[in-house]
Amino acid sequence: MDVALSANGKRVLRIFFGLLVVFLYAPIAILLIFSFNNSELPTFPLSGFTLHWYHQFLTNADLKGALETSAVVAALSSVGAVLLGVLASVALARKRFAAKAAVSALLLSPLVIPYVVFGISLLLFFHAAGIPRSILTVAIGHIVISLPYTILVLVPRLDQIDVALEEAAADLGASPLQTFRLIVLPLILPAVVSAFLIAFTTSFDEYALASFVVGTRITFPVYLYSALRFPSQLPQVIAVAVVVMVLSLIVVVSAEIGRRVAERRLSL
Amino acid sequence: MAVEGEAGVPAVSASGRRRTRLDLTAPALLGFPVVWLVAFFLVPIAIVAAYSFDIYSLFPGKHGFTLAAWRAFLHSSVYLGLFWKSVKMSLIVSAVVVALAYPVAYYLALSGTKRKYVLLLVLIAPFLTSYLLRVLAWKVILGNEGVLNSFLVWVGVRSRDHPISQLLYSRFAVMLVLTYVWVPFVALPIFVSLESLDRRLLEAACDLGASRWQAFRRVTLPLSLPGVMAGFLFVFIPTVGEFVTPSLVGGTSGYMYGNQISDLFSTGFPDWETGSVLALFLLAVVAVLTAAFARFLQVRQVTAH
Repeated sequence: MDVALSANGKRVLRIFFGLLVVFLYAPIAILLIFSFNNSELPTFPLSGFTLHWYHQFLTNADLKGALETSAVVAALSSVGAVLLGVLASVALARKRFAAKAAVSALLLSPLVIPYVVFGISLLLFFHAAGIPRSILTVAIGHIVISLPYTILVLVPRLDQIDVALEEAAADLGASPLQTFRLIVLPLILPAVVSAFLIAFTTSFDEYALASFVVGTRITFPVYLYSALRFPSQLPQVIAVAVVVMVLSLIVVVSAEIGRRVAERRLSL
Repeated sequence: MAVEGEAGVPAVSASGRRRTRLDLTAPALLGFPVVWLVAFFLVPIAIVAAYSFDIYSLFPGKHGFTLAAWRAFLHSSVYLGLFWKSVKMSLIVSAVVVALAYPVAYYLALSGTKRKYVLLLVLIAPFLTSYLLRVLAWKVILGNEGVLNSFLVWVGVRSRDHPISQLLYSRFAVMLVLTYVWVPFVALPIFVSLESLDRRLLEAACDLGASRWQAFRRVTLPLSLPGVMAGFLFVFIPTVGEFVTPSLVGGTSGYMYGNQISDLFSTGFPDWETGSVLALFLLAVVAVLTAAFARFLQVRQVTAH
């Protein structure tokens, strides 16, 4: 007999799983349906198919500007977070040093800070330091919150790699930098790429922190938030929502699959 | 979360203990990341503390160390009441999320289904899409002129003049949306803890005469508790300070502590001192919780392959 689940239990849980998946996807499906609906209001009955909202957002300069700003911020902050994350992860995975527990606690602590608290902290900090709010201030904050995620992806990968490879390279005369570039980096590359994508999507989607430190060039989530207050903009916002959701799903899912395939190949 | 260390910190001990000849010293590697976090994470928090003690102020004039803002906060029924309201809402959301995620994680981990990783990805995928847009979806659904009400009118269940109001802009809406947002994420740590369960323990329990229910209650449940605790905290910590969802779907009855903090810093009537006190108090509560339950927050489990 199956010790974990009876046949009936399995059936019940399968139905429960199905219902939860419906609960999770129905709102997304509803957005998708109404993005093609030919009406200002998202209400039943549906009033015909249109691509009008997609066309409208493609010609909306504010929206495109916000998407561009977000892309720049996300690129800056993900590159920054991955660089810092690689440095920190190599130290955590390969080195023994004093106060290691405290240092790793510091490196991971942005994971648990409420964003509203961090947001106002940065606001007061930039105010006190006389730094005007801009794209850079948002990127600085996003590097802080993305850094722990990059470490969480990179350290386990570094742990999987046999240290003997690095020792062999050193024995054969490679400098530490050469060892890193020729041995370690190629082996952790899938993890580096997925850390980069996690940091990029985190930044691209981040509203709470950005709302406090954003300058005059607003990011996409900040634009979205303000657009939500104007009902007339709702249909095209829904259309953008669908595009962004589908794109981010594709990127994240394919990145995860790609990482697993690549790591499997590297481990052979 | 990171790791199996006692303090919830990446205890990268296994490989760290091995001697390596990679000759970059730890300080050189850690320099940039640590300086970055000190400059843009710790110092900003210290500045908030300075504001809360009136060492800094938004307004010109003479300033010095005072506990006035803290004293006012601790005697304020408004702020503390709002804090407890947020704690209660957040506790309910966390409990509901865990209750929804547990059976699903159990099904994936223990039913022997072959496609468990695919199904897990199906479950988690919504979490990877935009937070704001998932909130937007519920705003579209719950509004008085929204999808749900117009659907009910269309099929003739409700009349146009009597929509189900109070769906949107209510405490209920906030809790529903927060539950929706966090369910996929919490399934993960619970799945990991159930997945690593040694099935032979269950077989042994059954051989010794335990029913399935007894085996679950005495073996499976206790062993999966770390995952449950981790999941609970993963929801509670971000939701107790939440302000985005309540400001979009909460109205006045869904107003939370995080909204109060945010409002004290926005234009209008800013009060940075009081806001700083509120923010630090929240931070202190979260820090104490994190420290107390750090051993459950095994980061490596979450990132396990």
